[in-house]
Amino acid sequence: MRNRSLWIGFLLALGLGLSIALTQQQPLDPYKEAERQRELFRQTAGILPGELYAAQGEELFAKKRGPKNTSLEACDFGLGPGKLEGALTQLPRYFADTRRVEDLETRIVSCMVRLQGFRPEEIKRDDVKALTAYVASKSSEMPINVVPKTSQEIAMYNIGRELWFHRAGDRDMNCAICHDSYAGRKVRLSPVRSPLQGLSNEWPAYRFEADKLYTLQDRIAFCYESIGIAAPEFYSEPYIALSIYMLAEATRGKNKFTELPGFTR
Amino acid sequence: MRKRYVLGLLAILLAGLTFSQQTPFQQRLQQAIKSGGSKFAETMRQDPDQALCSQYRNKLPAELVPAFLERQRKLIKYPADGKLLGDWKQGEALFTNPRKGNCYACHTGDPREPGAGNMGTGLVGYGARGTSEAVVKYTYDKIYNAWATMPCSLMYRAGYHGILTPEETAHVTAFLLDPASPVNAKR
Repeated sequence: MRNRSLWIGFLLALGLGLSIALTQQQPLDPYKEAERQRELFRQTAGILPGELYAAQGEELFAKKRGPKNTSLEACDFGLGPGKLEGALTQLPRYFADTRRVEDLETRIVSCMVRLQGFRPEEIKRDDVKALTAYVASKSSEMPINVVPKTSQEIAMYNIGRELWFHRAGDRDMNCAICHDSYAGRKVRLSPVRSPLQGLSNEWPAYRFEADKLYTLQDRIAFCYESIGIAAPEFYSEPYIALSIYMLAEATRGKNKFTELPGFTR
Repeated sequence: MRKRYVLGLLAILLAGLTFSQQTPFQQRLQQAIKSGGSKFAETMRQDPDQALCSQYRNKLPAELVPAFLERQRKLIKYPADGKLLGDWKQGEALFTNPRKGNCYACHTGDPREPGAGNMGTGLVGYGARGTSEAVVKYTYDKIYNAWATMPCSLMYRAGYHGILTPEETAHVTAFLLDPASPVNAKR
């Protein structure tokens, strides 16, 4: 554990150094640049930052923790207790035990509460992120398979679609302006995709420009902040609704997840 | 007796109105937004025309268009001195600043800017249309309130939201129209 933390610290410092070196060159194609950065990590460190977060998550997953001193191995992500292979491909979904539609991050939190006995307010965001990276790594490059079926899932999808088109804030923005109307074009240098084109299929991912792991919730929060709307509180319904909407559309477009955790700008 | 009858009828009508304003789905949507916390809910609150544009997915039915445009036109304010063409150099800074115009997110302008998006109309050479009163006013109005010429335009209403003051709007107008601006440099 100690060793791993040291490793992560070292790599993050390395990442920062690389990104500083980079900003001076003004790379113009963000995708090629991400690919180059990824190769550099492979060559110099032999391991990607996302893999380190996942390794950290794996330790947390198996370790007996919390007031009930249990691991998360009995956590059911929808395929049965402890079944992680492909678990992310079918999330968000409805869970009878919590009577809620949950995405991966929310499910991890509810398992930490129900199985390990944590109080929601004492759950560390960084732990949830590492666990998300670990569970997601078991769905790497698999086809996305989110098809709302229960009434709760369909309702959540409809809320997500409504939020998607909800114009608000002093930039009069919504998600659809960039990610539907102008999908395929660029905001500044960043190419923009629509959900049908697979938007959301690379998260959780390590963003080398931020030198941080971003989950899908982190990424949605970043989107809201950049259009002048305060980000929702983590694990709240807007994230779950937007996630099920985007991933159901990505499923209709027959998209796969990228390597998970992803590696992006 | 009669008065009471009328009052009762009014009460029923009012109740009916409030019910018809929010369907169960809209109530559920509001509940979801509230779950995101008070700051999120506050910034997600819509003005009536933002709500209309969301409801119709930016394609207003023809019969709603004239009144919509009329409402938006009334929101446009002009500089006290009446000059709609300001200083292009100040306009350039406002056009570029991500916290102000943030125009390069979607538009080209100065052709030397490498980080310009291409979601909006390209604006290189915009000044070719001259500086007649009509062109200047059209440009100013478009920047101040994009919805006054095009209902539910994807472009935001910079002046209406106070991101650009009337004077600042005039500066950005000049950045696009002034022959000396790099937008209009001979190439």
